[in-house]
Amino acid sequence: MADAVFLALSVITIGSAIAALELRSLIYGSIALMGTLGGIAGFFLLLDSPFVAMFQLAVYVGSIAVLILFTVMLVKRELIFKKVEDKRRKFAGIALMLVFMVGLGAVIMDSGIKSITTDEPAVDFRDIGADFLTYYWPALILMALILAGSVTGALVLARREDVENEQRTN
Amino acid sequence: MSVIAPKFKFSEFVKSILDNLFWFLLIFALIGLPLVQIILFYIEMPVIDGELLTPFLALTWLADPSRTLPILKSFMATDLFRIAAFPGFGFAALLAAGTIFVERKMLAKLQLRVGPFYCGKIEGILQLMGDGLKLISKEIIIPAKADKPIFWAAPVIFVGAAAAFIALIPVAPGWVVADVDVGLLAVFAVIGFFPIITILSAWSANSKFPFIGGIRALHQMVSFEIPLILSLLGVVILTGTLNLSEIAASQSNFPWIVFLPVGAIVFFITILAELERIPFDLPEAESEIVAGWLTELSGMMYGLVQLGTYLKLYAFAALFVVLFLGGWNGPMIWPPFPEEIITKGIEAGPITITIPGLPLFSQETLNGIVWFVIKTVGVIFFILLPRGVFPRIRIDMLLSLGWYKLIGLAFVNIFIALGLLYAGVLGPGGML
Repeated sequence: MADAVFLALSVITIGSAIAALELRSLIYGSIALMGTLGGIAGFFLLLDSPFVAMFQLAVYVGSIAVLILFTVMLVKRELIFKKVEDKRRKFAGIALMLVFMVGLGAVIMDSGIKSITTDEPAVDFRDIGADFLTYYWPALILMALILAGSVTGALVLARREDVENEQRTN
Repeated sequence: MSVIAPKFKFSEFVKSILDNLFWFLLIFALIGLPLVQIILFYIEMPVIDGELLTPFLALTWLADPSRTLPILKSFMATDLFRIAAFPGFGFAALLAAGTIFVERKMLAKLQLRVGPFYCGKIEGILQLMGDGLKLISKEIIIPAKADKPIFWAAPVIFVGAAAAFIALIPVAPGWVVADVDVGLLAVFAVIGFFPIITILSAWSANSKFPFIGGIRALHQMVSFEIPLILSLLGVVILTGTLNLSEIAASQSNFPWIVFLPVGAIVFFITILAELERIPFDLPEAESEIVAGWLTELSGMMYGLVQLGTYLKLYAFAALFVVLFLGGWNGPMIWPPFPEEIITKGIEAGPITITIPGLPLFSQETLNGIVWFVIKTVGVIFFILLPRGVFPRIRIDMLLSLGWYKLIGLAFVNIFIALGLLYAGVLGPGGML
């Protein structure tokens, strides 16, 4: 069962990743990107970490993909993309990707991943929280500062000094 | 004199019926029966009372009312029943249908109209059925330059996302479709899909009004998701869990709205915005942009979007009940099941019927369902009420409300929860 699901997820993820790169329509490309990100969430579910899977869905599919869609819809694509099409570039890219994948696969296969036992219970999100507050606290503080900074930046950027109209009151 | 069918002959009418019957029986005997046999070969039948439920036995039991209950009970234990009927789609669709009717009637009373009146003799209670039949029978028109695959898929995915939301709501102790450990995060993940579906549907129609409505919906939903998520963190801090069933069970003594009223208010306002209801109905502003992102949808596609919207309304109201109003908890008002029906049977005049297998639900479950439905209906009423009272607000007011005020209030709520937790009043190991 798990093998079949893994295979199906792999096909979905890689297939939609290729589609996201190759499709001419930008909207369909971003939909395919959503498929890729959703497939990665499925992998996290298979790896017994539903916490990360749900965050993957909520953040990547729910927010990042929306931002991409939004940008694509509001921008004329002829203005920002110049088509450079070349058969040789394409094949070189595919070959480079294959070499990279084979090398990465060899490294992973050599790293003792085969001796990992499966059928462990799901990773409890309370453990993740406890780890964050004890061993990884500098990372947590750093993330909190970055997030607070970006939220503040977003608020400042979104703020606009409009000409106040007397008749319009907020 | 107008005649509907001028060449009507009764004999031909009977003949057509007999013809249809003949072909139906022929096709059923030649294709249907073998197909049923083949399917039954692969289905694992349940074992009831130590007997394997063969199709023959099932038909025998169905013919005998006193022996039908075990089949019903075994069906109620299946996942199919949970998904399709009780805590899932059927239950929610029933409540959603009731909501539509109550909304139309109540809105009419608020504005001194009568509302639906003629369809169904008594106060127009069949109006909804009539509308449904109308929507089903109408032609589906697709704009010529629309992006057809996305345009077709969007309403279906919308209903699917709403159904996924419903599946996470616990209705009574143990009665939930998907009892996941990270239930609240799953809710956030599902909510995140709605803006995507909306904007894709709006873009694919290739028309001005839907696109304006879709962009507005995107602005509104994305900016109100943040206070929505933040306002629920207080409950998570105090309960120490993300599982919705455990959150509901933790409120057996007092609901969280007692300690976190700020979070409840923020969450309620964000519900109104996420559901695109007045005063935040800019995406569908019917006096400005026809029907917003729904403009080009027709026939049953529109019906599906409406169904999804009201399912979403039920799901949000139920989420409010589960998180802030104590879910199914409440004083026991359901009377206990009379014992003599099990021991002696029902005496109806001269005959006595003994029915094994009763009761179908336990007393606690029924009591929980009653309290849950009462609270949910109350919250739905308060979601409907602003539509008769408030005007629509401008989009800049909407965004400044979401980004400045609601996020600030949500943080106030989180600090209240943290204060209660560190003071040792509530939370894991607290006084109460």
